[in-house]
Amino acid sequence: MPTVNTPGLSLQRIYSYVNRLPLFTRLVVAAIVLFEAAAILLGNWWDVRAWGALAPDELGFGSLYRTNTYPLIHTDMFHLIVNLVSVTPMLDMFEREHGTLTTLALFIGPLSTLPALLYVGAEKYVLGLHSPVMGASIWAFLLAAIEAVRMHRVHPYFVIAGQSFPVWATPLAALVVTMVLWPKTSALGHLCGLAVGYICGLGLLKYLAPPEKVLRWIEGRLNLLGRLPHYVSVDQKTHGRFGVLPMSNLGATPVLINAATASALQLRRDPRILKLPPYLSLLCIVVGVAWLLLLPLDQYSRRTYISENALLPGQVHTYFSGSDQNVFRAYKHEVNALVGKSNAEINDKLEPIVKGLGLKTARQNFTYHAAGHTYAGENLYAILQAPRGDATEAIVLVAAWENVKHEINRNGVPLALTLLRYFKRWSLWSKDIILVLTPDSIAGPQAWVDAYHDAHDPSRVASLPLKAGLLQGAIAIDYAQESRFDSVHIVYDGVNGQLPNLDLINSVVHIAGGQMGIGVALQEMWRHDNGYSDRLRTMLRGMLKQGLGLPSGPHSSFIPYHVDAVTLQPFGEGWQDEMAMGRVIEGTFRSLNNLLEHLHQSFFFYLIMHRERFVSIGTYLPSAMLVAANFTIMAIALWVKSGQAPEAAASKSKADTTTTPPPTPTVERDLFLPLGVVALIQSLSIVPLYLFNHAPESILTPLFIAFTLINTALPSVLSHLLTQTYAPTAQQYQLVKSFSLLLLGMFLSSLATLNFSLALLTGLLAAPLSFAGPCRSRRTTTCRAAAAVLLHALGPPAVLLAAAAYSRAGVAAVLREAAVGWHVCGTYSPLVVWCVWWPAWLATSVVVLGKGEDGDGDGEGKGNGKGNGKGNGKGNGKVKTT
Amino acid sequence: MDGTKVAPGRTAGLYAGAAVLRLAIFTLLPGLANLLTGRVEVSTPVTSFKRQGLFLYNRNVSPYDGGVYHQAPLFLPLFSLLPSFSSFPIFTYLLYIVVDLLSASALWRIADSGEAGSSALFTSPRREKRWSGFGIAALFLFNPFTVATCIGRSTSVFTTCAILHAIAKAVSGAPFGAMVALSFASYLSMYPLLLLPPLILLCYDRQCPERAINSGFRFAATCVATVAGVLAVLFQLSYFITGSWEFLPSTYGVQLTLSDLTPNVGLWWYFFIEMFDSFRSFFLAVFWLHLSSYVGGLTLRIRRQPLVVLTLLLGIFAIFKPYPSISDTSLFLAMVPLYRHVFPLMRYTFVIAAVILYAAFLGPAFYHLWIYAGSGNANFFYAITLVWGLGQSLLVCDLMFAVLRDEWEVERPEMVGKEIRQI
Repeated sequence: MPTVNTPGLSLQRIYSYVNRLPLFTRLVVAAIVLFEAAAILLGNWWDVRAWGALAPDELGFGSLYRTNTYPLIHTDMFHLIVNLVSVTPMLDMFEREHGTLTTLALFIGPLSTLPALLYVGAEKYVLGLHSPVMGASIWAFLLAAIEAVRMHRVHPYFVIAGQSFPVWATPLAALVVTMVLWPKTSALGHLCGLAVGYICGLGLLKYLAPPEKVLRWIEGRLNLLGRLPHYVSVDQKTHGRFGVLPMSNLGATPVLINAATASALQLRRDPRILKLPPYLSLLCIVVGVAWLLLLPLDQYSRRTYISENALLPGQVHTYFSGSDQNVFRAYKHEVNALVGKSNAEINDKLEPIVKGLGLKTARQNFTYHAAGHTYAGENLYAILQAPRGDATEAIVLVAAWENVKHEINRNGVPLALTLLRYFKRWSLWSKDIILVLTPDSIAGPQAWVDAYHDAHDPSRVASLPLKAGLLQGAIAIDYAQESRFDSVHIVYDGVNGQLPNLDLINSVVHIAGGQMGIGVALQEMWRHDNGYSDRLRTMLRGMLKQGLGLPSGPHSSFIPYHVDAVTLQPFGEGWQDEMAMGRVIEGTFRSLNNLLEHLHQSFFFYLIMHRERFVSIGTYLPSAMLVAANFTIMAIALWVKSGQAPEAAASKSKADTTTTPPPTPTVERDLFLPLGVVALIQSLSIVPLYLFNHAPESILTPLFIAFTLINTALPSVLSHLLTQTYAPTAQQYQLVKSFSLLLLGMFLSSLATLNFSLALLTGLLAAPLSFAGPCRSRRTTTCRAAAAVLLHALGPPAVLLAAAAYSRAGVAAVLREAAVGWHVCGTYSPLVVWCVWWPAWLATSVVVLGKGEDGDGDGEGKGNGKGNGKGNGKGNGKVKTT
Repeated sequence: MDGTKVAPGRTAGLYAGAAVLRLAIFTLLPGLANLLTGRVEVSTPVTSFKRQGLFLYNRNVSPYDGGVYHQAPLFLPLFSLLPSFSSFPIFTYLLYIVVDLLSASALWRIADSGEAGSSALFTSPRREKRWSGFGIAALFLFNPFTVATCIGRSTSVFTTCAILHAIAKAVSGAPFGAMVALSFASYLSMYPLLLLPPLILLCYDRQCPERAINSGFRFAATCVATVAGVLAVLFQLSYFITGSWEFLPSTYGVQLTLSDLTPNVGLWWYFFIEMFDSFRSFFLAVFWLHLSSYVGGLTLRIRRQPLVVLTLLLGIFAIFKPYPSISDTSLFLAMVPLYRHVFPLMRYTFVIAAVILYAAFLGPAFYHLWIYAGSGNANFFYAITLVWGLGQSLLVCDLMFAVLRDEWEVERPEMVGKEIRQI
C-alpha cells in the first residue's frame, strides 16, 4: 500500500490503528458496544444498566458478577464514546506490553474487582451513600495511574511556565478536570481506580499476575497464537511503551481482510463486495417483514389517545331517547313501506319528510359506467343550518339505502331521519349538518362528495344546487341489522388506503366504549382478546384493505377530500337498541361540533391493531422502505457488476496482496438496448390496464384466461425475439434487470408515502424478482424452466387467481370490483399491479429466460477475455437463480 | 449511433414522430395537458400559460394590473394573433410543437458542428466517440421533461428555443444572429443575459476566417452593443404595446425580488417564505450574486471550451434560478449528450440518474401529500426539491469533472486511465 500524502491519510491511520488492536482490547470494546446496544434495544425487557451496575446496596454473593460487569456498561451514548476513546489506546498499550493472557487475567480479575470493592467499601461504609457506578472510565484512570507512575520513574517532573509538576500527579489533575466538566461522574469511583492503579504501578500487585511459565504452557498447549487473530503472545510482548507506529508496516496483517473497512475506493474494488448485495437485499426483506411482525408487541405499538383537546369526547350528556323512539318507529314504518321501490320513488317519499322538518333539500343525479354496468341513481340531501354558525363549516351524516353488501339499511335511514329531527331541536350547533341519503354505498357518496367539491365530471354527475361550508367530518350509518345489537364496528378505510384522522376513530371509541358502554370492533374482528395474534390479524386485515384501495363504505369517498369520515355498523346480539346507536352518533356530532379547526392534531398514517392500540407512520414505514430498498440495492449492484470486465470478477485469487490490485477497467456499458427493452415492457403495461378496466363484466373471465395464456408465453416469445434480433450480451441482460428493478424500487418508495400497505404488499410479492437472474449452471435448460415456473407462480395473474380463490368471489368479480374502483372512486391499485409490478415481473422473466452467454463470451466483438473466459465463467458465475 | 450522415427521410420521420406524439397527447388527453399546465413543476409564475394576461390585453386593460401576469409584453400580440385558444386550441398546440421542433433543429446543428469535441483552442482525444445530431435531437424531443413542458404550454419553450438558436448561430459563425437570439432569450426571461460572456467567446472562436475581427475587445464591444441595441428595440416595442414602462417591474422586477412565492422545483421560494423581511433584500442580493458568480469563474477556467461553459451554466441556472421548472432541466439535459465523449470519465452517472428519477417521482407524491391529502406539509415538497437540486448539481459537477479531466489528460498523457482523487 503506497503511502500517499493526502488528507485521506489520517483516516487511513485510524483504520490501520483499529485493525491492529489486539484481541482483548477488541473484546472489551465489543462487549462495551454490545452491552450498550442491548441496553437500547432490549431496554424494555432487560434493564442492562440496572443488572450490571456496581450498586453498593445490591452487592452480595449472588451478585458478585457486578464487580466485573460494571466497567462494560455505560449510562448513555456520550458516556460510552468518551470512555471508549480514552480507554482503548491505554488498554491497547497495556495488552501489547503484557500479552493478551495476562491482560485478560488481570482485567477480569483484580483490576476490576479491587477498585470495585474499594469503592463499595468507601461509598457504603465510610460515606454511607448508595450511588451505583458504571463505565470503563475506572479502567481509564487505573491505566493512567499505572502509566503515570512508570513515567515518573523516567521523567519525574515536567515544567510549565517555570513551575515544575510531578508527573505522577497528572491523573489526579485529569480527575479534577473530569469532575469539573462532568459533575455527574463519580469522583470516588475514579479515585478508587486511581488508587489501585498507583498501587499496581508501584509494583505492589505484581504477585497477582499469572506466572509466565504457566502462560507459556497454556499458549503452547492450545496453540492460541495460531488460532486467535490479533492475539498478543507472551513472547511477542513489545516491552516498549508505544509498540509499532501504525501504518509503518502492514505486512503482518493482510490488507484484503481489512478492505471492508478501508477507504471507499478500495471498497469499490473488492470483488467480494459484489457478492454481498443479494444477501443484503434478502436481509432487507427479512428485517422488513420481521419489523412488521414486531409491531403488535407492546413495546412497539402505542396506546391511542385523544390529541385534539377541543374534541372533548364523551364529556356531554346525550339526550337522544324517550319520545324519539316513537319518532324512530314512525319513520321506520315509512321506510319499510318503501323497500323494493325504485330510487326515484324512495326519494319522492323521503323528500317531503325531510322538508317537513323545516330543512332545505336538494337532489342530485349521477351515472357511472364501469365493467359494462351502469351505476346510476339520485342522491337526496338536506342541510340543517347551524343556529350558531355562519355556514362556513359543515358535518355530514350519511345513510345509504343499501350498504356495501347490498343489504337494505332498514334501521340506518330512519335513524338518520330521527337524528336530524332531533338535532333540529337543539340550538347548540355551530356547524351546519348535512344529511345525505344515497341509493348505494359507493357511487352515490362519491358523486355527492365530488360534486360538493366541484371536482366532478358534469357529463356523468350533476352539480349540487345547494351547498354549505367546508366539510369537517362525516359519519355514515350502516344499520341493516334488524335485532338489537351488542357492539359497534368502525369502518375507517378510505379509497386508496387513505385514512381519517386517528382522533375521529378515538373519539368514537371513547364515546361508544367509554361513555355508552358499547363494545367497539375494527376490521371485522368481532372478537378481540388484545393478544398478539388478534392484534396482528387486525393489523394485517387493515393493511390488506388499504392495499386493495377499494372503498369499504359510504365514508370512503370523503377521505380523499380530506374530510375525516367513518362508517358505524352495529353488530352482534345484545341489548343495545337503536337509541343507543343514536346516542353514539349524537355524542360524536357534539364532539365534531366542538372543533375549532380541521382535525389535524393526530395521525393520518397509522395501523390500528386494537381499538386502543396503534402504530404511527414513523414506526412502520421503515418496513416498506426496506422492502423497496432491496430492489434499489440490487439495481445498483447489477449496474456496478455490469460495468466490470468479466476477468475482474474472475480474478479472485486468494493471494496475499500487499499492494492494491490494479484498477479494474470499467467496461463501457451498452445502454440503448436495455433502455429500449425496459421502455417497451413498461409501455406494454398499458394494454392489460386498459383491457381490464374497460371490458364489460361478461367477458372478463374469458379475457383473463386469454391474458393468462398469452402472459405465460410472453416471456419466452420476447426473449426469443430478443435473442434472434439483437443477441444481447450478459451485460445487457444485467442492465435490463437493473433498470427494471430501479424503476420498481422507485415506484414503490414513492408509493409507500401515499399508500404504505399497497407498497408493502407489492414489494413482498415482487421480492423474488430481486433474486432471479440468468441461469449459469450446467443444466441450463432445467434451471431456466424451474425459474420460469417459479416466476409464473408468483406473477400477477397467478396471484390474482389465488386472491380470487381465497375471497371465493371469482376472478370476474375481483376484476369488476377493481374496474368499478378505478372508474368511480379513482382507485389506483390496478395501475400499480399492471404498470409497476407486471412490467418488473415481465422484464425479470425475460432476463431469466434470456440466452445471455456466460459472462464473457459476448460475441459482440468486445473481445475481452474471449480466450480465457469459458473456464473462469463457469466456476465463478454466481448469479442466483431464484 | 456514430456521427454518420442521416438520410433526410429519417430527419422528417423524427420530427413527424415528435410532432405526432405531442399532438396526440394534446388532442387525445386534454385532461393531461390541463393538469400539466397547472403543475408547479412545469409552470412557474413567470412561464405559466394559464397566467397569461391575454384577457386583459384584449380588453385594453394593462395586463400587469392585478399582479398575475409576469411575462414579457411581446407574448401578448403573439398569442392574440392566434385564433382564440378556447375555440381553436389546435393553433396554440401547433405553435408549441413548432417551437420544440425549431429547438431540436438548432440542437442538431450544434451537435453536427462538432464544437463539443473540438473547439478552436482544444481538441479532445476522445472526440471520435459521439452521437449524431439525429440522436441528440431525438433525445431532446423524446425527453419526458421536454414533452411535459410542451404539453404544459409553458412559455419557457420560447426561451429554450432562443438560447439554442443563439448557440447554434454562434457555432456556425454568425455572431450577429447569435446576439440577436440571445437578446430575445434575455428579453423573454432575463437570466439568459448571464450567458453573454461565454457566448461572446464562442462566437469569437468560431468566426468565419474571412470576416474575422481579431481584436477581442472590439469583438466583445460589438457583441455587447448588438445585444444592448436589440434589447432596447424590444423594450421600445413593449412600451408601444403596453403604453407604459409598467412591464419592467412586473416581469424582471418579479424575478429580481421574488415577490411571487408560488412553490416550484427551485430552492428560493421556501427560503424566502421563511425569511424575516428585514433580511430579505440582503439574501436576494446574495442569491443573485451566487447565481451570477459562476459566469466569470467558469468562463475563465474553461476558456478553451466555451460550449462547455454554456452547458454548465444552463445546468446551474436550472438549479439556482429564482423560478426554475423542469423546462430548464430539459434544456440542460438536451446539451449534456453533446459530451458523449467524456461520459466514460463521469463517475456518478447511475447515482445521478437514480436521484433525478427518484426526485421526479417523489416530488409530485409529496406535493400531493402536502396540498391535496393534507397529511404532509411544505417541508415534504421542499425536501424533494433539495434532492432534485442535488441530482442536478451532481450532474453539473460530474460533467465538469469529466471535461476538466479530459483536458488534463491531454496535458499529462502519462496519467490516462489512472485513478485520481479530487480534493
